[in-house]
Amino acid sequence: MGHYLPIVALAVLAVLFAGLSFLASRLLAPRRPTPQKSAPYESGIIPGKEPPRRFPVRFSLVAMIFIVFDIEVVFLYPWAMVHAELGLFGIVAIAIFSASVFESFLYLLSKGVLEWGPIQRVQRPHLVGAHRTAESTIRRVGLEGRDRPAEQRILVESGIASHAVEPAASAAGGH
Amino acid sequence: MGDPLYAGGIGLTVVLVTLLKVLVTFVLLLVATMFMVWFERKIVADMQHRIGPNRAGPWGLLQTLADGTKLFFKEDLLPDRADRIVFRLAPVLAVVPAFLAFAIVPIGGNFAEGGTVSMFGRETFLQLADPPVGVLFFLAMSGIGVYGVMLAGWSSGSKYPLLGGVRATAQIVSYEAALGLSLASVILVNGTLSTHQIVAEQAGAGFGGIIPNWNLVVTGVVPAIIFLIAGTAELNRPPFDLVEAEQELVGGFNTEYSSIRFALFFLAEFMNTVTMSALVVTLFLGGPSGPVWGPEPVRTWFFPIFWFLLKLVVFLFVFVWFRGTLPRLRYDQLMDLGWKALIPLALGWFLLLGAVRVARNEGWNLVVTFGAITVVVVVAVTLLNLSLRAAQRQRLADAEVNA
Amino acid sequence: MVAQNIFFGIIAFVMVVAALRVVTTKNIVHAALYLVIVLAGVAAQFILTGAEFVGVTQILVYIGAVVVLFLFGIMLTRARIGREVEVDNEKRWLAGLVALVLFAVMSFALVDAFEDSRIESVSGGTPQLTSEVSDAIFKDYLIPFEAASFLLLAALIGAIVVARRE
Repeated sequence: MGHYLPIVALAVLAVLFAGLSFLASRLLAPRRPTPQKSAPYESGIIPGKEPPRRFPVRFSLVAMIFIVFDIEVVFLYPWAMVHAELGLFGIVAIAIFSASVFESFLYLLSKGVLEWGPIQRVQRPHLVGAHRTAESTIRRVGLEGRDRPAEQRILVESGIASHAVEPAASAAGGH
Repeated sequence: MGDPLYAGGIGLTVVLVTLLKVLVTFVLLLVATMFMVWFERKIVADMQHRIGPNRAGPWGLLQTLADGTKLFFKEDLLPDRADRIVFRLAPVLAVVPAFLAFAIVPIGGNFAEGGTVSMFGRETFLQLADPPVGVLFFLAMSGIGVYGVMLAGWSSGSKYPLLGGVRATAQIVSYEAALGLSLASVILVNGTLSTHQIVAEQAGAGFGGIIPNWNLVVTGVVPAIIFLIAGTAELNRPPFDLVEAEQELVGGFNTEYSSIRFALFFLAEFMNTVTMSALVVTLFLGGPSGPVWGPEPVRTWFFPIFWFLLKLVVFLFVFVWFRGTLPRLRYDQLMDLGWKALIPLALGWFLLLGAVRVARNEGWNLVVTFGAITVVVVVAVTLLNLSLRAAQRQRLADAEVNA
Repeated sequence: MVAQNIFFGIIAFVMVVAALRVVTTKNIVHAALYLVIVLAGVAAQFILTGAEFVGVTQILVYIGAVVVLFLFGIMLTRARIGREVEVDNEKRWLAGLVALVLFAVMSFALVDAFEDSRIESVSGGTPQLTSEVSDAIFKDYLIPFEAASFLLLAALIGAIVVARRE
């Protein structure tokens, strides 16, 4: 296996490089450990809590699905190399294989394993919509220093503030 | 097939040439890494209207060397609660695969004439090794690279490195799947796993003699883009540098590392950047192939290496450009991009490309083929959407119950 | 050939030592790392006998994915960092028995299948080409290949069912 020997030689060289670096550092660097230095680094705060003992199981499932896709990749490459000779037969074989891997992927997705962030609720602020006008925006950002009666009148007329908001409440909610 | 250097048995010259290539690869990678660190600092400085390193050597070129030397003189701390053996092993596990992955990259050779150069009277490839499974070898090395990060995080005995290590491992592993799937398209069109042959397939005139016959074009751009994105994430480079998100994790998996051990992690990171750029060039942009002129040594030595370095610098710049431009992703965005966009897209594109190629070979009816492909794509996308929606509904329901 | 046999011997010795350390070490993360050495040895043996595709796949799948999953599982749950984890060795006799039976079955299967044929004659003396692997998968072993995909599906569903609460 001639062509792996240069790689082995490079690996040996790399390990030597790392080893010699450690040796050089040992010879050149000072060595004055103190309890403060060898405590876990937490930006100067004395560590109070233990590191978390358990992590979300999601991380582990990611590694699991990775194995599935890794094996899929390993099987795709041989097909990719000889796809021309295999023709329709090869396409069908690889399609069945991919479909079953895809299916497991779908199951994973539908179980929410790959949902990481906080839940995204669709919140539609009732003032943002087809009726949104400059006046409605004014009501949202606040009414201080504005001509309130006129404001109220405009809003009610345009049909946005149908449940006529109390001036006090709208001022309080404006912030 | 294979490097002609080993065709005629193994003699003293062959051993010497091989050793020379090993040394040159080693030194070249180190110098390229040094250059990359300087290049990145200088370009980012330019993008941020700063000057950047300008003291050590002309234009600050020797700054990296100075920084590296300084790290030898720094105290090497071993945290109390660290697992001593694994803590010492982790930097080595990071740096060795980083060296090895570069071994399969062809850096020169005139690919119009077989891609070989003449060295001491022997024909040889200008790449350290050309195993017939080169692409898989690269994937395997980047797989081993995970160990350095993971074990560094675990063995430090401290909470931020542990969090950083767990995050990094999940990220690297996720994007490695996308990386492998996007590479499958290259293998499909080139029909080989050897990097040398992949470059040889891309040499020569392409469509209309103007557009080069690069895999970038032949595979239809999408795999190249996926590879570039997945590669950036695999390298933990911005905008995917959640591993060392300073605001949350102090320094990530290498928080407890100092002195030369830290330097090795740093070195491995930048070496991987150089290797990844070199691989993008090799797999999608024809590596060292390109127009060559002139007499013998110029034609076979100068131009291919020049083209390779030129393309390499372009992608090194792209990586720095990403860093200078794009804000960091959130963790859920990172995972969503990898799993819900890149992986299905890469797999789908690969199967589509395969189906189209087989259809063309066998002379199937185009309309029927494209009809079938469209149906399959629509069904797959619908199923994906339905699964995502099901997950969303499930989570909302869970949240109501908990609330 | 002589050089190959010497390399085989060295690698095999390292593998046996590492395998013993997997079951004797007290630290579970170290055990996983010794397992990596064993698997790397397997990959090296494959490459030594000319089965390059299988060898590199061994690294990619077993070292790059399966042991990563092991380590991940250990890191995420029980391994207190910086301390020795007491590994439960109570069932060592039963485990030894299982290992012995497995060894007997595999030796029998290997001897039965290959008898006294030599490595050179198995692979024809030349390294195995990846296209040969492809031909083998899609001609002789198509059913196992498709079955593997269903096995993966089942494994994943199992993992999710075990991991999710409901």
